[in-house]
Amino acid sequence: MASPAATRPSETLDRILRDYQAVAARLPDAAVTRDARAHAVRELSRYGWPKASDEQWRYTNLRAFEAVPAFGPAVPVPELLLPELAPELPPALPGFQRLLYVDGVRQLGAAASAAATATTTAGPDWPAEQRFGLLCDMFASDVAALRIRGSAAVEVLFLTSAAAAGAACYPRLQVALEPDSELKLVERHLGAPPAPTLVCANIAIELGRGARLMHYRLQQCGPRTAFADTLDARLAEQASYSVRQVAIGAGSARTSAQVRLSGRGAALSWQAIAVGRGQQVHDAALKVEHLAPDTRTEEVFRGIADERARIAFSGHIHIAACAPGSDARQSLRGLIEGAGAEIDLRPRLEINTDEVKAQHGATTGALDENLMFYLLARGIDRSTARALLKWAFLGDVLRAIDLREVRRAAEQGAAGQLPDVVAIGALT
Amino acid sequence: MTSAADPLAPPLLDIRDLHVKVGGQEVLRGISLVVRAGEVHAIMGPNGSGKSTLAHVLAGRPGYEIVSGSASFEGRDLFALAPEQRARAGLFLGFQYPVEIPGVNNAYLLKAAVNAARRERGLAELDAFEFLSVVRTKIRLMQIDESFLSRGVNEGFSGGEKKRNEILQLLVLEPKLALLDETDSGLDIDALKLVANGINSLRAAERAIVLVTHYQRMLDFVVPDYVHVLARGRIARSGDRTLALELEKRGYDWIGEQAAA
Repeated sequence: MASPAATRPSETLDRILRDYQAVAARLPDAAVTRDARAHAVRELSRYGWPKASDEQWRYTNLRAFEAVPAFGPAVPVPELLLPELAPELPPALPGFQRLLYVDGVRQLGAAASAAATATTTAGPDWPAEQRFGLLCDMFASDVAALRIRGSAAVEVLFLTSAAAAGAACYPRLQVALEPDSELKLVERHLGAPPAPTLVCANIAIELGRGARLMHYRLQQCGPRTAFADTLDARLAEQASYSVRQVAIGAGSARTSAQVRLSGRGAALSWQAIAVGRGQQVHDAALKVEHLAPDTRTEEVFRGIADERARIAFSGHIHIAACAPGSDARQSLRGLIEGAGAEIDLRPRLEINTDEVKAQHGATTGALDENLMFYLLARGIDRSTARALLKWAFLGDVLRAIDLREVRRAAEQGAAGQLPDVVAIGALT
Repeated sequence: MTSAADPLAPPLLDIRDLHVKVGGQEVLRGISLVVRAGEVHAIMGPNGSGKSTLAHVLAGRPGYEIVSGSASFEGRDLFALAPEQRARAGLFLGFQYPVEIPGVNNAYLLKAAVNAARRERGLAELDAFEFLSVVRTKIRLMQIDESFLSRGVNEGFSGGEKKRNEILQLLVLEPKLALLDETDSGLDIDALKLVANGINSLRAAERAIVLVTHYQRMLDFVVPDYVHVLARGRIARSGDRTLALELEKRGYDWIGEQAAA
C-alpha cells in the first residue's frame, strides 16, 4: 500500500479536484450523499493519484487514464436521441429483468423495466489499491441499487454513448442480498465512443447469511475507452459468491477487487478471462480475505496477450489467524501470442493459521508443444491448430458460464479478439 | 507369413540407415526397414531401445536431430514434409499417451482431420451429415458412446478410453500407414481385444500397419507378418511371429547381448 504522506498531489489529481469543484453542486445526493462524496475527495487527496512505481499499479496503463480529457460526468443523453447515440442493445435475456444505464444514468424507456430502489449508502473505506473507486464516489450521477429478498435475475447494462466521448461515465452498482436469497446478476459494459473516454465503475456487494450470488461480468467497451472497475464484496456466514468475468474490451482496463469472507463457511468462486490484442492493457488486482473458519476460495484466471498487448493479474489471498479450516485454490495461466506481448501473473498466498488447504499455480508461456503436435499429427494445419488451442485455453472459464446466452455473448466477444478462431469456425 | 503384400511392389515406407539424436545422445543408430502395403510389422524391444523414438521421428515430432540416413513414404522424402503434411499424405501416429485438449471437441477434431486428408486426395469435403454417418459406424465398432463426440478431446477419459479414441481416429481417417506406439499399454484384456478388433478391421492390401509394442500379447490378436527387435538403437533381429513368441519365453536380454556383441 502506498504511503499517503509520501504521495504528492499530481497534476492529474489537481485536474480531478478542479473538475469536481466545477460539477459538485449539481451532482445528485440520491446517488451518493454529499458526505460520502466529501469523504472520497479527502481519501483520494490523501492517497494521491497512483504511480507506476506503486506495486499494485505498475502494470496499469495509468497514462491512458491520465489522458482522459475531462473527469466530470457526461451530460445525460435525452431519451429521444438515444437510438442515434447509443449502440444497439444486445437481445434481452429470458427471465431477466433488465436495467439500462446510459453514460451512468438510468433510462426508463422501453428497454428498461421496473425501477430498482436507489439507496444512499456510502461506499466502503477504499484502500489505496482501489482508489479509482473513490473517483466514482466523487462523480457518480446515479446508482443501480438492488436489494433482493427471495430469488431474482437481473441484467444491468451500462452503455457508453457517443455523446460521452471526451468525458467520463460513472456506473455504480450496489447489491444487497438478504439472508438465504438468491440472485443471478449480469453486468455488461458496452459502447464505443469515438474519442478518449473514462468509464469508472464502482460495485458494492453485500451477501447475507446463506445468500447466493452468481455474477456474470462482461466488459466489452470500445478501444477509445479507459475502463476501471472497483468491486468490494462482503460475505456473511455460508454465503456464496460466484463471479464469471470476461475482460476483452477497452484500450486500457483496470479491475480492483476485494472480497471479504467474513462469515463461517462463506465461499468465493472467481473465474476470469482477459484477452488483449493491439496495444490493449488489461490489469486486474484481486484480494480475497479469509476472515472466518471454513471459508473457501477458488480462483481461476486465463489471459491471452496477442500482438503487443499487456495482461496482468495479481491474486492475493490472505488467510487470517481466525480462519482455520480455510480452503484456497488458485490457478493463474497466461498465454503469450504476440512477439511484443507481455503477461504478468502474481499469485500470493498469505497464511496465518494452521489447518488450511491451499494450493496455487501460475504459468505463463507459449502454446503447449505436445498439444500442438497431436493436432498436427492428425493433419490439422498449423494456423488452425494454434487457433484451436487458444480457444481451448479459455475453455476452463468459458465453460463455467452456465447461462447459455451469457456464455454465447462471452464466447463471441472473446472470439472477436482472436480472428483466427472465428476463421476456423471453432465457435459452434 | 500371412502377408497380403506384393513382394515386388514399391515400398510404402523405406527407412535407410537412420541415425537420430535426442538431446545430444544418439538414440537410433542405423535403422533400415522396408514396409510394403498390405504388411503388418511389429517393432519390439526393451524400454529405451528407441522404438517410440522411431515412431515419433517418422511422424515429425520436433526435438529430434536426424544425423544421417533417410526415410521415404511412397517415394517422397518424409523428412522434407511437415508433420501435418505427413498425416495428410496418409501416415497416422497412434499415441502411447494421447493428450487431453479440453475445449476442442472430438467431433470438431475428427471432421477437421478427415477433411484435411480428403482435400489432400482431391476429394470433396464431408458435410456434417456425411461425417456423422461415417463416424457413427466406427463409434459402434469401438463401443464408444455417441455423446463422446461433443466432449473435449480425451477430456476426463480413462487410459483405455483414450486408446479406443486413438483407434477410432485411425478408423475414421483410414491412413495408408498406421504407426501405433504402444497402443496396448495399460489395456485390460477386454479393451485389448476391442482395440485389436479395430486394428484388424483396417487390415487391407493397400494399407500397412506398424505396431510398436513391448509385449507379445497384442500380437495374439493382431498377428504380424514381420517382427523386428530393437536393441540400443538398432534392429538386432528380424523374423516372423515366432520371434515374438521366443521373446515372450526368453525376454530381451539375450537380444541385447547379441546387439552389444
